[in-house]
Amino acid sequence: MRYGGHGGREIVDRVIASPSEAKDSIKGLKQIAITGRIARECINIAYGFFTPLEGFMGRADVEAVCKKMTLVNGILWPIPIVFDISKEEINEKGIKKGDTVLLVYQDKALATLEVEQIFSYDKTKIAQSVLGTTDAKHPGVRILHEMGDKFIGGKVTLVNTPRFNPPFDKFWYTPKEMRERFAERGWQRIVAHQTRNVPHSGHEWLMKGAWFSANGELPVEKLQTGILVSCIIGPKRVGDYIDEAIVLGHQVLHEARYFRDDIHMVSIALWDMRYAGPKEAIFHAILRENLGCTHHMFGRDHAGVGTYYDPYDAHRIFDQIPEASLNIKPIRILEWWYCPICGEVTYSGLCGHSQEKQAFSGTMIRSMIQDKVKPTKLIFRPEVFDNLMKCTNEYGFGSPFCTEEYLSKRQPIFELPIL
Amino acid sequence: MYSINLWINEERYDKLNQVGLANVAKDVLAGMKVLKLQCTKEQKDRILQFYPMAKFDSATTRSIELLPAEAKDKMFNLVIKKGNLDIIEEFFESIS
Repeated sequence: MRYGGHGGREIVDRVIASPSEAKDSIKGLKQIAITGRIARECINIAYGFFTPLEGFMGRADVEAVCKKMTLVNGILWPIPIVFDISKEEINEKGIKKGDTVLLVYQDKALATLEVEQIFSYDKTKIAQSVLGTTDAKHPGVRILHEMGDKFIGGKVTLVNTPRFNPPFDKFWYTPKEMRERFAERGWQRIVAHQTRNVPHSGHEWLMKGAWFSANGELPVEKLQTGILVSCIIGPKRVGDYIDEAIVLGHQVLHEARYFRDDIHMVSIALWDMRYAGPKEAIFHAILRENLGCTHHMFGRDHAGVGTYYDPYDAHRIFDQIPEASLNIKPIRILEWWYCPICGEVTYSGLCGHSQEKQAFSGTMIRSMIQDKVKPTKLIFRPEVFDNLMKCTNEYGFGSPFCTEEYLSKRQPIFELPIL
Repeated sequence: MYSINLWINEERYDKLNQVGLANVAKDVLAGMKVLKLQCTKEQKDRILQFYPMAKFDSATTRSIELLPAEAKDKMFNLVIKKGNLDIIEEFFESIS
């Protein structure tokens, strides 16, 4: 099987699978303890989620991303992927160009980093060019501000394979594994649905609408188009839905047959959202292109936050890039709403009852869930609600939303074995 | 006046119907209705004192949010028992 990824490059594979070989490769290396974000990005780089990146970016790539939204080699890339570190740690550990260092996550070896370049870059400049703002309230700006003042560019090699804990283990596929799953299912077209939500009917119809668009002119007797639900797993805040409920909630949609089993698949992707709106939409497209998806749905306010972006900026940015720069097609979607006149969940691009519409409001649905009042079937599938309540007890310490207790006591998504 | 929103699904709607209060609930999304209980500033402050995790949303809904589900269940049951929406004092009695 050919594993072609973004920019026409072969899917990156920088994983030492043999523990003894891995052990040998890290002997005597200086160690750097890394954050969750860096650990997730090392895993993404090594398995090829970030193809063609083979490591953390050097200065020239960061500059090109900020100025031209490409890598130095001209391949489309919208968000810098950088390894940050403090000046003090560099000095204290004597890290210099040419070194290979061991990256340690939660006291376990994770990856090696070849120090090809140590550099500084104005984080405000990154914020302005990528996020379009330097406002400290923007979560992407906050991520940048929390970074150390130096960056190390260089190749990453995974020396320890993460073990995903249940229920996430069933949903973790590397780009190569994902393509094998797609081939087994006979999917020619795969439309990605990015999510951080427990699905309500608005999400369900978003996926169904996108499936129709992606399937297009293909024969329908034997379906060859699938939906890949790609749940973003990253840092959580108090009040977010718990991760387990998101992943299992989507799984319930096909277990309860709201989607046929042969056209719907749930997966997880590790990523710390930058909320970069349009630029993040491009990034999500690249991520799913590397997973083997052919289409990616983009709804209203994709990857946006607050009022930093127009609700459809994430659609328009695809008009500004050369078509050949991406091997995945954006499917642009307006809102799905409930229309009391039509008596159904319908599409705002079709239904003319805009005065009478009842929009799906995440806040409203969260309020119903908070009150543990089962919403009507048209809003929220009863099986999804029941699963949410089950997850509340099983994983959420009594809450479907993240609490301080959940954040401090939850079982980690993945763990690293001792090498 | 300040409000507390009680969500009304089909099951709760049937109960409201039985006590002649079905028409008080306002349809907001696909048959999901909301019942607005009114309270005074003094009552609002007492509720917030009793449930420190609850918050008053002064910016948009002007309603008390994040009350525990059990508290709202109790309020709904009082509405059904009393047959009207004026139940805040009875609610205080039931939790004191």
